[in-house]
Amino acid sequence: MNSNKNKRQSSKALTRTEARTLEAIAERIFPKTDTPGAVEAGALDYINLALAGDYAKLLPLYRRGLRAVDRHARRKLGAKFMHLDAEQKDVILADFEAGEVSDFKAAPEFFKTVRYHVFEGVFCEPQYGGNKDMMGWRLVNFPGQQFGYPDPYINERVDLPPIAVDYEAAEED
Amino acid sequence: MAQSIADVCIVGVGCTGGILAKELSSSGLKVVGFERGPAPKKSDYAPRDSIRFLVRTEQLEWVRHEPTTTRKKAGEAARLQYRTSPLNVLGGALLHWTGQVSRYLPGDFKLYTNEILSGNAERAGADLTGYDIIDWPLSYDDLEPYYERFEWEFGVSGHAGTNPFAGPRKRGYPLPPLRHSARMELFAEACKQLGYHPYDTPAGILSQPYRPPPPFDTRIRERPACVYCGHCNFYGCHVHAKAATLYTTIPVAVETGNFDLRTNCKVFRVNSDSVGRVTGVSYFDPDGQVREQRARVVILCAFMFEHVRLLLLSKTDTGRFAKGLANTSGYVGRNILAHGDVRAMGLFGAFIINGFIGPGSAAMRIDDFNGNNFDHAGLGFIRGGTIGTSGDGTPVTRIDVLPPGVRSWGQEFKEYYTRYYTRTMDLNMQPETLPHKANRVDLDPRHRDRWGLPLPRVTFDFHQNEHRLQKFMAGVGEKIMSATGADKVWTEGKGRPNRWAGGTRMGADPKSSIVNEHCQTHDVPNLFIVGSSVFPTMSGYPPTATIAALSYRTAEYILSQKQWFA
Repeated sequence: MNSNKNKRQSSKALTRTEARTLEAIAERIFPKTDTPGAVEAGALDYINLALAGDYAKLLPLYRRGLRAVDRHARRKLGAKFMHLDAEQKDVILADFEAGEVSDFKAAPEFFKTVRYHVFEGVFCEPQYGGNKDMMGWRLVNFPGQQFGYPDPYINERVDLPPIAVDYEAAEED
Repeated sequence: MAQSIADVCIVGVGCTGGILAKELSSSGLKVVGFERGPAPKKSDYAPRDSIRFLVRTEQLEWVRHEPTTTRKKAGEAARLQYRTSPLNVLGGALLHWTGQVSRYLPGDFKLYTNEILSGNAERAGADLTGYDIIDWPLSYDDLEPYYERFEWEFGVSGHAGTNPFAGPRKRGYPLPPLRHSARMELFAEACKQLGYHPYDTPAGILSQPYRPPPPFDTRIRERPACVYCGHCNFYGCHVHAKAATLYTTIPVAVETGNFDLRTNCKVFRVNSDSVGRVTGVSYFDPDGQVREQRARVVILCAFMFEHVRLLLLSKTDTGRFAKGLANTSGYVGRNILAHGDVRAMGLFGAFIINGFIGPGSAAMRIDDFNGNNFDHAGLGFIRGGTIGTSGDGTPVTRIDVLPPGVRSWGQEFKEYYTRYYTRTMDLNMQPETLPHKANRVDLDPRHRDRWGLPLPRVTFDFHQNEHRLQKFMAGVGEKIMSATGADKVWTEGKGRPNRWAGGTRMGADPKSSIVNEHCQTHDVPNLFIVGSSVFPTMSGYPPTATIAALSYRTAEYILSQKQWFA
């Protein structure tokens, strides 16, 4: 069904410029610290694939939203979003979250959508293009698509290496 | 195809249709089953894929063709809403349900008698303006033997006798309870401290490999035990430990040779004749061609929204059914019901929960605040709800479980989530909703489905009794969660409608209800409606066990009407 068709078949939905702005946003939503952030985890690949597939209807919102982010950044802080420092970027994103962007009514919807999609990109099943090397799962200590758990792990860290299922090899009946 | 007359036509082959198909075809009746969705393959859900089943549900073939529209009150524009229940697939929502299978409490069947006639509502100071409360025309004792059949045919794991509020039962559960998780242990301990009565939720998930023993239906094949993978609620079970008609009763029905199962066939009209009996159904076949099937008996076994829609679409131009088939009372679509779940959450600094280990129905539960199990004097509302542990989920599905004051993105979120994903736990309260005159389903005047039929339009909101009860339940949840030793506790006190019922309610009076105690329509003796749509009132529990019990009981009644099939 559609999950398999959605695999990395298509060209990327976003232009290079759009992708770079989105990358800068994603990195503020789930930043690299002493551990990997959204970009390293592959959130951009996830979103690009999704916008070329199941989320194609949302591409216009992304286009308008990304333009509005740069416009708002220039107007308020005098530079394109990607050239701002981390603190300034957060100010711009907070305006979007709160709906305080005068010429873009859909700002909260755009922010909410991007926030969900970034987290999907960090924590998805790797088949969808994000969560590279199960990096997102390792960060929160989730062992992935385990067949099951023979032990209840009550107040015990689960020490199993994470597993991602190979969909092609998944059993047929 | 030649027009043969089937004995029985079943519309919708999910929970109720799957049970009725087995019961009726096993007795030699020729049964045709129509399922508007496809037959799923094991490989569709084997990968335990949270993006597919929880994040992009609107894209699921089983969801996207059959939305409803929804609004809070009459006069508002209704918006499209894609729902995972109904699930348009062979086997229906039992494919992906949680598996809570509590029988209703004996008092749940008699709300008018127990709450209003008894003076309880008055003592509580409840305001019941706008509600339309009646008794069920049957009792717990009438359903008891059929609850038992459901539990033993599907395999229910539980511990009889541990819930002091449960109705009497002749037989225990076929299987011991599911394994205890961290959240169950914490919840049980906290409830005991507070003087409540925790018990293992009866679960429609096998704790051990199981095949029904005699005197139950031994044709149902053996299934393996749950492996606790945690990809449970909203997923199909990859080992088939979950109670589902798809791998219990439906294969048995097919093996009888009397069950003609037609998937990807959508019934859009129930046909009736001039003397007011139904004659069969009209449907779209998999190629979209209109076809007819004649039948001696028609049973609607779809989801409650669809029951209302079908009856309204099956109206006749003139005569008794001009307002809709079986709708001389005008009650089709009225008094719909849904739980308004509220949650309490806890964060643990020094205790690892690992909430992703499943299944969701491996839960402890209390009924101290369910139904009429507690003193309502002065509380301002009647009824209650069951309270239990919940909170399984992969990381992508838990990003909104955030205590107040924690930013939902950025470094603060990252630090919070990497620390606490394995250290949160939820309690779920399922407060009952009373039947209210403003809550109904009808046909949407604007939106149509891909076959060109009007979508069901859901008008639903919670009213004064629900608001007070939901607030009270959130408070109880907070108290229990605090007693677990959680470092931080917060609640989500506003219920979201979930687990639908009503719309073709059961009652003793044909002037204010659609079906009788046998799920037979008052207006049309050979038309039956089986499912949660017949519930006149709900309970603090999910409806499934009661829906299944009604299916067995209705099958027995239909089989007793031998003259219909002579």
